[in-house]
Amino acid sequence: MSERTDGMQTVFKNIKGDRLIWAIVALLAIASFLPVYSAASDLAYDKYNGNTFISFVKHFMHLFLGFVIMYGVHKIPYRYFRGLSLVTIPIVLVLLVVTMLQGTVVGGASASRWIKIPIVGMSFQTSALASVVLMVYVARYMSKMKDTNITLKKSILPLWLPVFLVLALILPSNFSTTAIIFSMVIFLVFLGGYPVRYLVVILGSGLLALVFFVMFAKLTTGPLHVKVTTWENRIKNYSNSKDTEADYQIEKAKVAIASGRVFGVGPGKSIQKHALPQSSSDFIFAIIIEEYGLIGGFIILTLYMWLLFRIVIVSQKSDTIFGKLLVLGVGVPIVFQALINMAVAVELFPVTGQTLPLISSGGTSIWMTCLAIGIILSVSAKREEIKEQEIKEDNPLEILSETI
Amino acid sequence: MAVNEKGILNRLYFIAGCMFVFGLAVLLKLFSIQYIQGDEYRALAEKRSVKYVTIPANRGNVYADDGSLLATSIPKYNIAIDAVTSKRKTFEEYIKPLCDSLSGYLSKSSSYYEKEIRKARLNKNQYYLLVKNITYTDYIRFRNFPLLKLGAISGGLIVEQTTKREFPMGSIARRTIGYEHIDKKGNVTRPGIDGAFGVKYLRGTDGLRKKQKIGNNKWKPLTDFNQVEPKDGFDVYTTIDVNIQDIAHHALWEQLDKYKADHGCVVVMETKTGEVKAISNLGRNSKGLYYERLNYAVGESHEPGSTFKLMALAAALEDKVIDTSDVVDTEKGRLTFYGKHVEDSNHRGYGKISVSEAFELSSNTGIVKAIHQAYKKKPSKFVDRLYDMNLDDSLDLSIIGEPNPIIPDPRIKNGRWSGIALPWMAFGYGVSFTPLQTLTFYNAVANGGEMVKPKFLKEVKEFDKVIKPYEKEVINKQICSKETIAKLRQLLRNVVDKKHGTGHKLYSKNFSMAGKTGTCQKDYRDKEKLNYISSFAGYFPADNPKYSCIVVIHEPDREIGYYGADVSGPVFKKIAQKIFIDTPLIDEINSLDVKVPAIEEEYETFYKTARTYKTIMPNVIGLPAMDALALLENMDVEVKVKLNGNGVITAQSVNKNEKLKNNQTVVLNAS
Repeated sequence: MSERTDGMQTVFKNIKGDRLIWAIVALLAIASFLPVYSAASDLAYDKYNGNTFISFVKHFMHLFLGFVIMYGVHKIPYRYFRGLSLVTIPIVLVLLVVTMLQGTVVGGASASRWIKIPIVGMSFQTSALASVVLMVYVARYMSKMKDTNITLKKSILPLWLPVFLVLALILPSNFSTTAIIFSMVIFLVFLGGYPVRYLVVILGSGLLALVFFVMFAKLTTGPLHVKVTTWENRIKNYSNSKDTEADYQIEKAKVAIASGRVFGVGPGKSIQKHALPQSSSDFIFAIIIEEYGLIGGFIILTLYMWLLFRIVIVSQKSDTIFGKLLVLGVGVPIVFQALINMAVAVELFPVTGQTLPLISSGGTSIWMTCLAIGIILSVSAKREEIKEQEIKEDNPLEILSETI
Repeated sequence: MAVNEKGILNRLYFIAGCMFVFGLAVLLKLFSIQYIQGDEYRALAEKRSVKYVTIPANRGNVYADDGSLLATSIPKYNIAIDAVTSKRKTFEEYIKPLCDSLSGYLSKSSSYYEKEIRKARLNKNQYYLLVKNITYTDYIRFRNFPLLKLGAISGGLIVEQTTKREFPMGSIARRTIGYEHIDKKGNVTRPGIDGAFGVKYLRGTDGLRKKQKIGNNKWKPLTDFNQVEPKDGFDVYTTIDVNIQDIAHHALWEQLDKYKADHGCVVVMETKTGEVKAISNLGRNSKGLYYERLNYAVGESHEPGSTFKLMALAAALEDKVIDTSDVVDTEKGRLTFYGKHVEDSNHRGYGKISVSEAFELSSNTGIVKAIHQAYKKKPSKFVDRLYDMNLDDSLDLSIIGEPNPIIPDPRIKNGRWSGIALPWMAFGYGVSFTPLQTLTFYNAVANGGEMVKPKFLKEVKEFDKVIKPYEKEVINKQICSKETIAKLRQLLRNVVDKKHGTGHKLYSKNFSMAGKTGTCQKDYRDKEKLNYISSFAGYFPADNPKYSCIVVIHEPDREIGYYGADVSGPVFKKIAQKIFIDTPLIDEINSLDVKVPAIEEEYETFYKTARTYKTIMPNVIGLPAMDALALLENMDVEVKVKLNGNGVITAQSVNKNEKLKNNQTVVLNAS
């Protein structure tokens, strides 16, 4: 090692873990300012008397807090997360119930996704926290079971009950998040070696539960009914060619993408941001392409793919099964969500309302992503600790995989 | 279950591979949107987010001849309230004061408004109309009302600006001034002057501004200039005289109302120039009220009846086949042609009378007989003479809707000519003219034979710059000889002046008028529906006409009266009288030496005496004392005059013709 890298080492002496992940996250965070700031100008025009700086400061505060969370979490040895997940699952369930009972209704549909944090006065999307906690919980269970022969019966109570409870509490207000969490859990238990035949059963019962829920909701006449009808319409719209509100959003997104061409129209010059209702969160990818062109979109996509690659590396390097599953359990959903968001913008996927992690504005999304990254970093930091203790053997392969 | 690292990693690679493929798919779709569907969406981008907003041009004004406004466009405001947008606290705080202010401005009570607005808020009504079509001043007042003062977002103020056409003269001459009305289906009605010149001059051209969408219904201009600058419409100056128009309108109204007539019109034209000084068209609506319904004067052609006798005689006089002094036999008031009768209104005729009297009495038999006898061998000659006087030409007015005149012609096979066509034409049946066409002929007679086209416009202006002046247009320099004109004018004058004239009721010793009455049957084919058209056409003053005027009233109530002189005449007289009174009297004095014949004579005698009697005593008895003194003292011999008393001389001491000596004393007695 040269002196220079030693000097760098002292600057970041407190920052542990995979430095490339740190770098990717920092790059994404920096990149997020431009489109969020630009897309928010329309919002500012309506809400903040034309003061775009407010949304800029807000976003900065969100990111700053996110980095604080990330830094704090990555300092925690990851083995503690086993116990923490056990403790937090009931808390999350309570929070979800509270959220649901708050019963916010937006446009006649049930939209109780948010909980108001007392004193601070900020809104918090409980399902995002639930997602991270649940993944840690599942990783813990799967690693605990690594040496036993798992059966469906045995796993129902400790694994699937909490999973379905969480999902059932999120479903009425947010179908897409439920679906994503469910598929991520399936993915994680699949990685953990859960027998595929049981997975089919679980998947089937999940679908059945959904059908029951929809049928039940249809019988009611409240906001739940409206919500279910909205889902139906969205899925119908995706498959048919009738012009609807969702089609309108997609069309705007595509117009934005098409107007961006290769180099984009330039920072802040997006026109479609005025037309797209969720320009600073759900459809931010379209705005990025409009303003920064295919190049900008490609860079963002690459950053996420690179993050995925680093997550795989960290997981690969982790010495414990829990470490491996934990990294994948919290890391892959980030990339998965990012891909879903982009897929919506390019009309590969029906409109869902998933944010682009780290780039979209919105506190909860940023903080939970940072929490997840913190966990990943904690796992990779642990590995580094172990590595430091080991004899410094200059295995060229080792160095290569560390630096890519 | 045995989980080993390898198993996890293998599955991980599979999943990661899937995600990578997903990422690639996103990228591919991105390219496809960019390159395959790109043009389509980019075109959409332009369409959806850029629009051209029209900037309406200000419509030009319409002015009267003295510059009074007849029609102008002013901004009007509709005020509504978005009852939902204001916060509960604000709403509750200001709702009462707002409603108090509203009830102060509008007629309903404060509690009424409070109830309504609260109801609107409950129903989530985002547009509750408070008031319509208010002026700018009132709009400013509204804007300062409580709650509304807080603006669109916090207070819910909604302001819509529209442009309204205002007519400061009210409904007067509305059909002639005209307007542009576009109904919901996009059909346009454009009567009158506005219709004739609206598109060309008044409207102007709208501007265009390119705007880009910035959010919901918010558009920002893309450039700091207009893509097309709006060009305001020009102002149109009409020939209408507001005072005459006012009299004409009200005089007509009064007569229509008095006779419960269906509709009527009056036109006043300046003789020399053809400028239409007043034009009023009133029709009755279902409620029996009169309003400017249609432009009857321009657009309604009808059989003129007796007013056409002037044209018939003009032709005959010009052809020298009749003279005013010719005597005709009115044959007990009935002539028969092919089984059809021509009757006099008194049903007994007037015996043997001159053509002139026949005209003055409006004897149908008299005129018909004269014309028939004169032209029966060659009726086309009569028709040709009418053509020569441009009676078959339409006036080619700028105001649309003028039908062509109808004159039967034996050479044209259109079913109009028959054996009775000539006699019937003679008293104004079988022919058809609009009031304005008839007036144009009368005006030509008043104008010494020069037929001028009626004109409505003086000029078109842009501020002070004249864009297009409208000059006097002459249709026919001399429709007939001066001699004929003089005879016609005498006839027209007699109608009013002569005791037996049908228009004598209008006679006034203060001012002179000339004209012809017309009482024409309408719908005479069905006795049940028989109605009358009462008209009066003429000019004033009779000697040196300044204005010509026609009054036509359709379907007066027969019970009340229907003679042209009774129904239409008074309108004519009122206008003439008013103009006469309003015109300042200008008396021209040719020389300051006023020659009174009596004085002149006296002077002549005096002068003669003074010249004749130089030394001989003249007769001074009967002369004023002053004159007598002057006479005697200016003689060649010096005499001393002693005057007793004053006044007229009654006695002289020296007799007439006696030779006077120097220093002789003459004593004169006066009293």
